[in-house]
Amino acid sequence: MKQFHRPFFVALLAFALSLAACSKDKDEVANEEELITTAVLEFRDNGSSDRFSVIFSDPDGEGGEEPVYFDEIRLRPNTTYSVTATLLNESTDPDTDITAEVAEEADDHQFFYLPAGVNINVAVTDQDNAGLPLGILSQWTTGEVSTGTVRFVLKHKPGNKASNDDVSKGETDIDLNFVARVQE
Amino acid sequence: MVNLTGKFFFAIILVFTGLGVRAQCVFRLTGVVTDADNRQRLSGANVLIREVRKAVSTDEDGRFKVEGLCAGSYNLLITHIGCQPLEAHIHVKEDLRQDFVLPHAQGQLSEVTVVGTANTRGTGISGEIKGRQLEATRGLTLGESLKQVPGVSVLQTGSNIYKPVIHGLHSNRVLILNNGIRQEGQQWGSEHAPEVDPYIANRLTVIKGASSLRYGADAIGGVVLVEPRLLPVNPGIYGEINSAFFSNGRQGVISGIVEGNARKIPAFSWRLQGTLKKGGDAKTPDYWLVNSGVEEYNFSVAAGLQNAHRGVEVFYSQFNTKLGIFKGAHIGNVTDLQNIIDRQEPSPEIKNASFSYSIDRPYQEVHHQLLKIRSYLATGNAGKLNLVLSGQYNNRMEFDMRKFQSSSNVPQLDLGINTGNADLVWDHNSWKGLRGTIGATASLQKNESYKQRLFIPNYRAYNAGVFLIEKWSHAKWILEGGLRYDIRSIYDVSDNQAGVYDDRYFSSMSGSAGFTYRWRDDLKTTLNFSSAWRAPQVNELYSDGLHHSSARVEKGNPTLQPERANSWLLNFLYNPSKWDIDLGFYYKDINDFIYLAPTYPPVLTIRGAFPAFEYRQTNARLTGLDLSAGYAITAHWKAAVKASLLRAWDKQADDWLIQMPADRYEAELQYDFGNGKKLQDSYVKINLQQVMKQTRVPDSGNIEKQLPDGTITLQPDYAPPPGAYLLTNAEAGTKLMMGRQPLFLVLSVNNLFDVAYRDYMNAFRYYALDMGRNIGLRVKIPLGVKKQ
Repeated sequence: MKQFHRPFFVALLAFALSLAACSKDKDEVANEEELITTAVLEFRDNGSSDRFSVIFSDPDGEGGEEPVYFDEIRLRPNTTYSVTATLLNESTDPDTDITAEVAEEADDHQFFYLPAGVNINVAVTDQDNAGLPLGILSQWTTGEVSTGTVRFVLKHKPGNKASNDDVSKGETDIDLNFVARVQE
Repeated sequence: MVNLTGKFFFAIILVFTGLGVRAQCVFRLTGVVTDADNRQRLSGANVLIREVRKAVSTDEDGRFKVEGLCAGSYNLLITHIGCQPLEAHIHVKEDLRQDFVLPHAQGQLSEVTVVGTANTRGTGISGEIKGRQLEATRGLTLGESLKQVPGVSVLQTGSNIYKPVIHGLHSNRVLILNNGIRQEGQQWGSEHAPEVDPYIANRLTVIKGASSLRYGADAIGGVVLVEPRLLPVNPGIYGEINSAFFSNGRQGVISGIVEGNARKIPAFSWRLQGTLKKGGDAKTPDYWLVNSGVEEYNFSVAAGLQNAHRGVEVFYSQFNTKLGIFKGAHIGNVTDLQNIIDRQEPSPEIKNASFSYSIDRPYQEVHHQLLKIRSYLATGNAGKLNLVLSGQYNNRMEFDMRKFQSSSNVPQLDLGINTGNADLVWDHNSWKGLRGTIGATASLQKNESYKQRLFIPNYRAYNAGVFLIEKWSHAKWILEGGLRYDIRSIYDVSDNQAGVYDDRYFSSMSGSAGFTYRWRDDLKTTLNFSSAWRAPQVNELYSDGLHHSSARVEKGNPTLQPERANSWLLNFLYNPSKWDIDLGFYYKDINDFIYLAPTYPPVLTIRGAFPAFEYRQTNARLTGLDLSAGYAITAHWKAAVKASLLRAWDKQADDWLIQMPADRYEAELQYDFGNGKKLQDSYVKINLQQVMKQTRVPDSGNIEKQLPDGTITLQPDYAPPPGAYLLTNAEAGTKLMMGRQPLFLVLSVNNLFDVAYRDYMNAFRYYALDMGRNIGLRVKIPLGVKKQ
C-alpha cells in the first residue's frame, strides 16, 4: 500500500521543489537612477580668471562607504567669484550629469546658498522660465578674513515653487554644509 | 500500578521536554447517542463524518469515539434503525464531547446545528476571530482584523499598511500561516504588510508565544493562522457574496466564493474565491491624506479528491495590491522631517489637497503567489501521513518620488523572493494514551537580484527541521510537550557591486511543555513554558542604506548570533453561566534580542546627516497581561472589557525598549434583540477604546535636536510619543430573511466622534493625524443549490 504511493509522493516533491526555481526573468542589473552622488562648485575669480573646484563626493550613494571628498571652500577676501554648480551620478559608468535635468525642470527646482559666520554674500544669477531664482549660476562676493560655513541646498518643489520661498519649503535633494574660509 | 507509574513517567518527560500544539489532526470526538423518546442509549447507531468519510458505530452503552480529526467544521449524519436520521454540524478545535438524541418517529431528515463546546483544550494560549466577529471585520486588512484579540496590536504605516504585533513582537518574530503554509513574503521593515487576503479565511487564530513548534521555532512572538473552511462534502453548488463599503476613503470591497461537490464523483470538491478592493484617499478629522488609496485583487482556487483513506488537495492563490503612500510622509532629509514635526501638520499644499482615487508615486506594488499541494494517506487505525508541498513567489516593488519628470518609470526597489517548502508529517492516534505528530520539514529560498536601490543583498537560504509533539490527557489533566531541531543557512549573498558577504549557518533546539488542569467544569488553568530561537534575518545581517520612510541609515551586523526566547505563559479560563473570563500573564526573557540601536555620529550624505542605527543584540524582558472578560447582564444585555498591558525592558541598557505598544483598554456594551420573523440575531453595540500614552520609552538616543536657545541635545526619537486617546465605535448587525434567503448586514461606525489623534505605533505619526470617522456597511449573501 505504502509502496504503491511512494512514486506519487516523489513526483509531488519534485514538482514543489521545481516551483522554487520558477521565477521571473532576471533583467539586467540596474542601479538607482538619478542618484546624486557628487556636487561640484566651480569657482571663477572674476578678476584673475583663476578657476578651482570644491567637491563633495560619495560615489556609492547614501550609506555604505563614507564620502571620499568633502572639500572646504577657501576664498580670497574682497573678491568676486562666478560660481557654477554641477551635480553628478558617479555610480554609473560613465558618470551622469544630473545638472542638465535640473535645468530642464528648472520650474520645480531651486538652489540655496546660505553663508553663516563668514563674510560671503551670494546672489543667484539665473532664473527659471517663470523668472524665479534657480541657482545653478551664482555670484559670490567676499569681505574680510573670516571662517564659517556655507549651506548648499537643492530643493524639489514640483508644482508649488513660488517667489520668496524659504529653504524649508519642498523636498530636499541636497543639503551640504561646507566649511568656508575667507583667507589671504 | 505499573501502568500508572508509566503514565506518570511519561507526564514528567513531557513537562520537561515538550511544547504546545495546534491544528494537528489528533483531535477526538466522543459522545453518546440516545433515543429521544425513551431516553435509552442506542447501540449500533451509525455516526458518519461526511468530510472525512469516516463512520463509526456506537457500542453497547451508546458511546462512540472518532480519532484523528483535524481542526475544522464537520457535517455529521447519525442514523439508527427505526429512528429518524439526524444531521449535525460541529466545530472541532480541540477534543470534543458531543451527545446526540435521535427522534424515534419516521419523517423527514431533521437538521441541528451544534456549537462545539470543548471539554478539553490544548495547552497553547490562543485567541480567535470567527463567525459574527469575523463578519464585522470584513473588508479590513489582516492586521486590523486581528487587533481585537487581547495582546495583539498593530504596527501601522499610514492608513493602509498594518502589521500584526503580538506581545510587542512583530515582523520576522510573528509567523503567518496562510492556509497552513508559512507566508514567505518580505517581512523586513515596518511598512511591509502581510500579503494575505483575509476573505480566504472563515477563522483567524492567534497563538501567543512560541508554544506552537509545529510551524517553526522562530515565531517567538506568536503565530497567526488564516484558516479557510474545509471543502464541501454534500453534493451541490454553494456560494457566498461578501461586500463592504466604507465612507472613509470611499472604499468598496467585493468578494465571492463558489464551491461545490460532484454528485457523480463524491470524492471531488472544488472552490473558487476572489476579492476586489478599491479605495481612495483616507481622511483625518482635518484633512485628506493625499495619495493614500489602495487597490487590491486576489483570487484562489482549490480542488480536492479525498476519501477516508487517502486524498489530495491543490490550492493556488494570488494576492496583488497597489498601496499609495501618503505624500506628506515623503521627505528628503532630517531637516524636512523636523520641519513637519515643528509645524505639527502637513505642508499647506498637502493639507489642502482634495479627495482622489488616483495612486501616484510614492506607492508600493506587491504580488504574491502560492501553490500548495496537500496529500494524505491513512496508516490504518494508527494515524495519518500528510505530505504538504508548496511554492511561493513574492515580488515587492517600491516606487518613490521621481527626481525628474523625465526619469524613467521604474521602481526604486524591486525584490523577488522564491520559496519552496516540503513537510512530511505523521499524525498518530492514541497510542498508550499518547497522541501526537512527528514531522520533518525543509525549505529552500532564493531572493532574486534586487534592482535599483540596495536595501538587502541577493541571497539563498535553506531551512530544515524535525519535530515531535505529543499530548496526553487523563481526567482533569492535559499534558503537552514537544521538541524541535532546526538548521538554517544563508549563502550566495551578493550585491550588484563588489560587496563581500560571509555565508552563515545556524542550528539549534527548541522545546515547549505545558499542562492544563481543570479545577471544575468552568475553571481551567494552563501553564506553558517554551524555549525557542530565531536566526538573524538577512536584513538584520546585511542591510545597509538609507531607510527612506524613517529617515535613518540602517546598517546590518554580519556577526549577529541567534536570539533565544524563554517564555512562560499562565492562563486562567473561568466561565460560569454568566461570566466568560480569559486572563493571561506572560513573561519572556529574550537573550541576544536583535534590535536597531542608535549609533553616533550620524551618517553624512549628500542630503545632510542622517541618524545612524545598527543592528545589535541585548537581553530583553517582556512581561504583560491580556484580559478579556464578558458578563451577560440579562438575556439581552451583555458587557465586556478587555485589557492588554506590556512592559518591555532592555536589561543591558537598564532602560525601556523603544517602539512597543502602549497599554490598551476596551469596554463594550451589547444589546441583543432576539429573533423575529424577518430579522434574526439582531444586535447593537457600543465600544470604547482607550489607548494610553506610551511613557515607557528610552531616555537617551542619538537624534540631534536643536533647542530654541540654539544648543543641541541628543534625543531617543524625532518627536515624543503622542498623547492618550479615546475612540468610540458603534456597530449594529442583523440577519434579514428574504423568504428563505438570508442576508447578513452589519453597519459600523469607527471613531464616531471624529477624534483627532496619533498612535505611537503608527510610523506616520510624525507626519499626519490618524483616520477620522469611518462608516462601514457590510453585506453577506450566502447562496446554495443543494442536490438531493
